[in-house]
Amino acid sequence: MLNQTQLWAIFDGTVVTVEIAIVAIILGAFFGVIVALGRLSKNKVANAVSWFYIWFFRGTPLLLQLFIIYFAIPIIYLDSTGMTFNINPMVGAFIAFSLNSTAYLAEIIRAAIESIDSGQMEAAKALGMSYRQAMTKIVIPQTFKRLVAPVGNEFIMLLKDTSLVSTIALFDLLRTVKTMASSDGNWIYYVYAAAIYLFLTTIIQVAFDKIEKKLGVYERQGN
Amino acid sequence: MSMVKLVNVRKSFGNLEVLKGVDLEIQPGEVVCIIGASGSGKSTMLRCLNHLERITDGEIYIEGELADKRENNKDLMKIDPVKVQTLCTDLGMVFQNFNLFPHLSVIDNVTIAPIIVKKADKNEIEKIALDLLKEVGLSDKKDEYPSRLSGGQQQRVAIARALAMDPKIMMFDEPTSALDPELVGEVLGTMRHLAEKGMTMIIVTHEIGFAREVADRVIFMDQGVICEQGTPEDVILNPKEERTKSFLNKIL
Repeated sequence: MLNQTQLWAIFDGTVVTVEIAIVAIILGAFFGVIVALGRLSKNKVANAVSWFYIWFFRGTPLLLQLFIIYFAIPIIYLDSTGMTFNINPMVGAFIAFSLNSTAYLAEIIRAAIESIDSGQMEAAKALGMSYRQAMTKIVIPQTFKRLVAPVGNEFIMLLKDTSLVSTIALFDLLRTVKTMASSDGNWIYYVYAAAIYLFLTTIIQVAFDKIEKKLGVYERQGN
Repeated sequence: MSMVKLVNVRKSFGNLEVLKGVDLEIQPGEVVCIIGASGSGKSTMLRCLNHLERITDGEIYIEGELADKRENNKDLMKIDPVKVQTLCTDLGMVFQNFNLFPHLSVIDNVTIAPIIVKKADKNEIEKIALDLLKEVGLSDKKDEYPSRLSGGQQQRVAIARALAMDPKIMMFDEPTSALDPELVGEVLGTMRHLAEKGMTMIIVTHEIGFAREVADRVIFMDQGVICEQGTPEDVILNPKEERTKSFLNKIL
């Protein structure tokens, strides 16, 4: 069985994993809306910038993005200014994961907005609403239910992808158990890790199912 | 002063010219029914009036004020967008597919635009909304979501929603075309009631019987132009133009 030090180490690793996933999903959702609106915008600059953003962050490995932020940027900074600049690994992970999930969530949000019948925007405009009012009060609220499943998906992916941070000096859940397993040659630690991952993803799955049902209330027909 | 005036309005979608020079003036209190085959430009004309589509050429006046003046798809006059928006709110619109907001209850569908566009007081506008729902016969449905209403009920809510903005003109774009036949009557009834109260109305419809009964003027559109217009007796019973005759023969 686990001793107390190991128990706390696993707990700390789990906290790292959960923290990164939660920060990335929240910041990703926030900035994802902005990038999605950029993609839908008629403004050519906004459109090109958001297209480029998604192209880059979806088209390169998350691990590479993590390396750029944690390893490359401090070197570039040193070369150009002559001063050292160290990024806190946790902050680096927050940034890399948020940038990455922003790109994925932007596409999810864009698709959800486009799936809303264009008659909704027309009706809102015919009632005198501005584009902004129509978006925030009419169109975007209708995307929420359609967003729940893909966002839950993204959240679960993020939670598992956090294991990549072991490469930048962070002890997440997976690295913690791997260290334990290799120090005393016992495979059981991997089972603990699997159980914890499953526990966490189950919470997400059940919670998102509930949210989806709740948000779908207005779509239920009949008595 | 006319409520709405179109001067030589043209509208193209790419190479397809849908409106080929339409002149039209509508007087206060007038009920105008527009009939014609699909693709004749009837709906496009309505949608140009409240800027859902921008005209390619021509001028639009709403209550005597210039709302749009364009040539070759370019603005000839910079018109303050806030003014355009205000003018457009004088035009209420009812769509073929109702376009109620599914995430809002019936009462919220009716009150949301006055609240966010006109900054109306919530309690006051709810009172007005309840009166409007009573008028369309749906006050008992105020807390339902649109998905739980029949098509006819949804369209009546859509009429109440448009009326809540206190428009001076109501435009109906084939309001009964998406309805089951047995539900058409209730929507036409609501519209008739509105006409009797003196509302200025522009109705694009295939309900010739209804047009005959309530319209002050019937306009027959064909291939992007107004082909014939006049009283219902003139246009529907004694059409002069060949194209009007052949259209009416096909649908009657």
